[in-house]
Amino acid sequence: MGATFIGVRHHSPACARLVAETISALRPAYVLVEGPVDMNGRLDELLLGHELPVAVFTSYRDAERQHASWAPFCAYSPEWVALTTGREVGAQLRFIDLPAWHPAFAGRRNRYADAEQRYAEVMESLCRTFAADNVDALWDHLFEVPPADGLAERLAVYFDLVRGESTAGPEDAAREAYMARWVRAAVADAGDRPVVVVTGGFHRPALIQLSATSDSAPVDLGWPQTPGLPATAAGGSYLVPYSFRRLDAFDGYQSGMPSPDYYQRLWDTGPESAADQLMAAVVGRLRERRQTVSTADLIAARVSAEGLARVRGHRHLARVDVLDGLAATLVNEALDVPLPWSTRGTLRTGTHPAIVEMVAALSGDRVGRLHPSTPLPPLVHNAEADLERHGLDRPGDVRLKLTDPTDLKRSRILHRLRVLRIPGFTRHAGPTTGIDPVLDEEWSICADDNRLPALIEGGGYGRTLEEAAASVLADRIAAARGDMEKLAAALFDAALCGSDQVSDRVLHGVTGAVAAAPEVAPVGRVLAVVLALWRHDHLLGTARTETLGVVVKAGVERVLWLAEGVYGGAAPAQPARIDALVAARDALVHARSALGLDREAALAVAARIASNADVPPDLRGAAFGFAWSLGAQVEPVRAVRGAFAPGSVGDWLAGMFALAREEVLAADGVLNLLDELLSGMGEQEFLVALPALRQAFAYFPPRERETIARHALARRGVAGSGRALLRLPIAPDVVAAGRALDERVDALLAREGLMGT
Amino acid sequence: MSAGSGRTAGAVGADGGATPRVQRPPAEVRYADELARLRAEDTAERPPGWALSLQAARRFILGDERAGIRRKFVGDPSLIDRALVTLATSRGLMLVGEPGTAKSLLSELLAAAVSGDSTLTIQGGAATTEDQIKYSWNYALLVAEGPSRRSLVPAPLLRGMAEGRVVRFEEITRCPLEVQDCLLSPLSDRVLALPELTGDDAMVFAQEGFNIIATANTRDRGVNDMSSALKRRFNFETVFPIADFDTELTLVVAEAGELLRRSGVTVEPRRDVLEVLVTAFRELRIGQTSRGDAMERLSAVMSTAEAVSVAHAVGLRGWFLRGEPGTAADLVSCLAGTAAKDNPDDLARLRRYLEQQASRHAGGQWKELHTARHLLPG
Repeated sequence: MGATFIGVRHHSPACARLVAETISALRPAYVLVEGPVDMNGRLDELLLGHELPVAVFTSYRDAERQHASWAPFCAYSPEWVALTTGREVGAQLRFIDLPAWHPAFAGRRNRYADAEQRYAEVMESLCRTFAADNVDALWDHLFEVPPADGLAERLAVYFDLVRGESTAGPEDAAREAYMARWVRAAVADAGDRPVVVVTGGFHRPALIQLSATSDSAPVDLGWPQTPGLPATAAGGSYLVPYSFRRLDAFDGYQSGMPSPDYYQRLWDTGPESAADQLMAAVVGRLRERRQTVSTADLIAARVSAEGLARVRGHRHLARVDVLDGLAATLVNEALDVPLPWSTRGTLRTGTHPAIVEMVAALSGDRVGRLHPSTPLPPLVHNAEADLERHGLDRPGDVRLKLTDPTDLKRSRILHRLRVLRIPGFTRHAGPTTGIDPVLDEEWSICADDNRLPALIEGGGYGRTLEEAAASVLADRIAAARGDMEKLAAALFDAALCGSDQVSDRVLHGVTGAVAAAPEVAPVGRVLAVVLALWRHDHLLGTARTETLGVVVKAGVERVLWLAEGVYGGAAPAQPARIDALVAARDALVHARSALGLDREAALAVAARIASNADVPPDLRGAAFGFAWSLGAQVEPVRAVRGAFAPGSVGDWLAGMFALAREEVLAADGVLNLLDELLSGMGEQEFLVALPALRQAFAYFPPRERETIARHALARRGVAGSGRALLRLPIAPDVVAAGRALDERVDALLAREGLMGT
Repeated sequence: MSAGSGRTAGAVGADGGATPRVQRPPAEVRYADELARLRAEDTAERPPGWALSLQAARRFILGDERAGIRRKFVGDPSLIDRALVTLATSRGLMLVGEPGTAKSLLSELLAAAVSGDSTLTIQGGAATTEDQIKYSWNYALLVAEGPSRRSLVPAPLLRGMAEGRVVRFEEITRCPLEVQDCLLSPLSDRVLALPELTGDDAMVFAQEGFNIIATANTRDRGVNDMSSALKRRFNFETVFPIADFDTELTLVVAEAGELLRRSGVTVEPRRDVLEVLVTAFRELRIGQTSRGDAMERLSAVMSTAEAVSVAHAVGLRGWFLRGEPGTAADLVSCLAGTAAKDNPDDLARLRRYLEQQASRHAGGQWKELHTARHLLPG
């Protein structure tokens, strides 16, 4: 009888309907479905009667790579419908695709992601021909909205056209070859009974070709083997509850069909009523948020939507017709970013609030639930075993010494639970920044009803606490974009959890996060901490790790970039931004060769900042000190003279002292020059400059201040102790009051002509 | 968002124009044959008063390769759909967006498609008065005969209403608020009162086919806002800069090549130089480099149209100074005048960009750009 191939788009209600009709009509012996073949033994578990959406989560970890992916199912997934309808008609059900951990899926987080992106050129010309903005609009236009007659043929033509003559990549070729073997085996086994094959439409042309048997070239007709996990790897698949939010392309899902709630309605009640419900849902949400949507607006939106449907030749309103109609009439100001449904991908910041509500209304908030007898994910068992093994399974207070290897292990377990937000584990004391000398931790453990549900959810991140915590941290690092505090917290948590080595993807995220930081001071703070961790930390084991090295490198680049963008002329010194340059300098000193930092480029930046009169004096001074302390050719005497304006000299010196204190003490003539210039200041000028000068000299530790004092005394030929000069026997305010009195007396005497001025 | 917009990228006539003496004929003349063909083949229903059906109008603007219709506007097809549907309803169409995103071109094309005529145009400005919008008088006749239809001089709005055609209002937010508001009753009641006349002449009712396309720069929002009453009578459509790099590059190459040919330059511009130009413009426009570094945007307009004019200047420099296509060094010289203009902050940002970001891009032209950074004046 042979096989009937149905090429589908994942999560398409129209395709799901076609699948149901075909299977009901043919009553096949086998229904073969594109899905993880390693789940074949557990199909009963899949069909227990869960509340959809649910997903098969697969994790994989070996020495080289770590991979997590989902195969989500909702009520209108053609694959799901194939399974349920197949079971109803008594067919044998089989998943026939390679397991999600197979190298053919490397980099794929969503098994049922759209394949269109691999055929971008064809899709672009198709979209242009049909004047659709993108693949989603085109798909609705061609398949979801028009009547169902001839759907199978139209789908076949569409996918043949898209796939065209192009040869599949090696990954797709491996999958298709494998799936074709299943098809051949099933057809041979079924004899004269039909076989239905439900796969992504892009695979259909290849599968038809590959599974054709001919007498001239005999092929193996036996059932293919299910690939087992490599011996060196850990991983597996289990069911997790899923949600429409995660399914939705707009919320970052690896490009499946967007707007799940809309398609759920389309599946339940058809296009006409789905459009009505969509419009009602959007208006309801907007009015809930107290946005004005008048009846006149609604009429105009409806008229626009109907008009758009007619222009585009739609029998019923399609998703984009409704959305375009609403957007055209409800938004009466300029948009900052394009309408999200005209592009693809995540919702961008700056999207108009009304548009955000529209997208949210389409996305829906349905969350799946597993049947109670579903086996629990391994994380639950692993976490419980970990806690028991390390004596952390009973409520109570725990004190840990991080220098003790056993306690360090226990600390890591607790931190992983904390990072996974498993309730019941609270830390009261312990290291908070990585450079504080705290070696003890205090925890309290208490029983919590929400611990088990939280662990099951955490199971979506990995099989073990270590793996799960690492993926949560990877997500946090990726989400920190530009927010240095968040990034620093995530990196430090990673150190506490002992997951210091992370994947390339996360490293990329870290670089991106640093590169997006808007302010120099926070970057500097993080750079200082991370540099210290990178150089010294053997307690948590982060010294010289690649992750921190990447942060240091990105931090240096970012500090230099941001520092050159600070303008505004005279302003009081800001120690935080001076410290940022200190951190960048330290990084160049200690990590230049290990991390390949560019000293020449940094010196060029410093030279430009130091010589730009529009830059605040503290930064100019710091930039000068930066170059000086890195051994660049500078002329300190000239520079100090140039910076010696009473209003700003203290700020300038603060910057220079912060970076080049040792050079100042060691250099010939700089202290003499400072002494000379300061002595030459008038009383009033000196008072103006005094607060900033005090701040500047505070960068010297007491011992060096004593050296300076000794120098000043020696220069005046006064014998005495520098220390005594620094420790005045009288409080400074008494001295100041005395000086003020002197001054008043002098002024009085001068006025009365009793003293020459 | 073709850069060949009316005022911005310079008048790039699509096919050189029908009459050689006119610098830039209107769209309905430039594309007369396409319009005629579309009209002849148009079988779909037309909204009352329209020269074309919505489908044909859409094909006119978005192009149709098989029918030999050129694509005249680069952008989302759904934008054109929404604009056309709005014009068929009782609300006006307001095109907003950054300068240089071809709003004027789009409004011209829409008017040419809908009414077959894009010349009923009001140019908004600080000195625009109601006379220039509605009607004024021929004073010799007014004194001789008194107010009458004969002595009345109709302005674009009155003509558009009486003849059932689309009226274009460019830069509406440059007009004072009270002048803008004279559009209220023509838009909502579709009637214009002529109080000086009596009887049937005192009211002009809008004929089918009348509507208004207004354009406004988002940068001008501070000059004059719009009353909310007027806003309600418009549907807003935002025209965005071209999202796709390759599309923008292709457009810049084509438009700059065309401009250079007209200026007597016989070598083609170098694609790798223009690639650097378009990348730099995009990075400075969105305030983020292609590898993800955030940076300050320039306050100057870094539109596709500006990119075309810089490309033009680069080509001219190269050819007339040295007899070769422009290089990245020419690019640096031209950037200061066109991109930074007289804004010292922008100049500083541009310098910082050339110093620190240009060196991080790979490629020979980027290297040359970085090497030539000292050519930036100031």
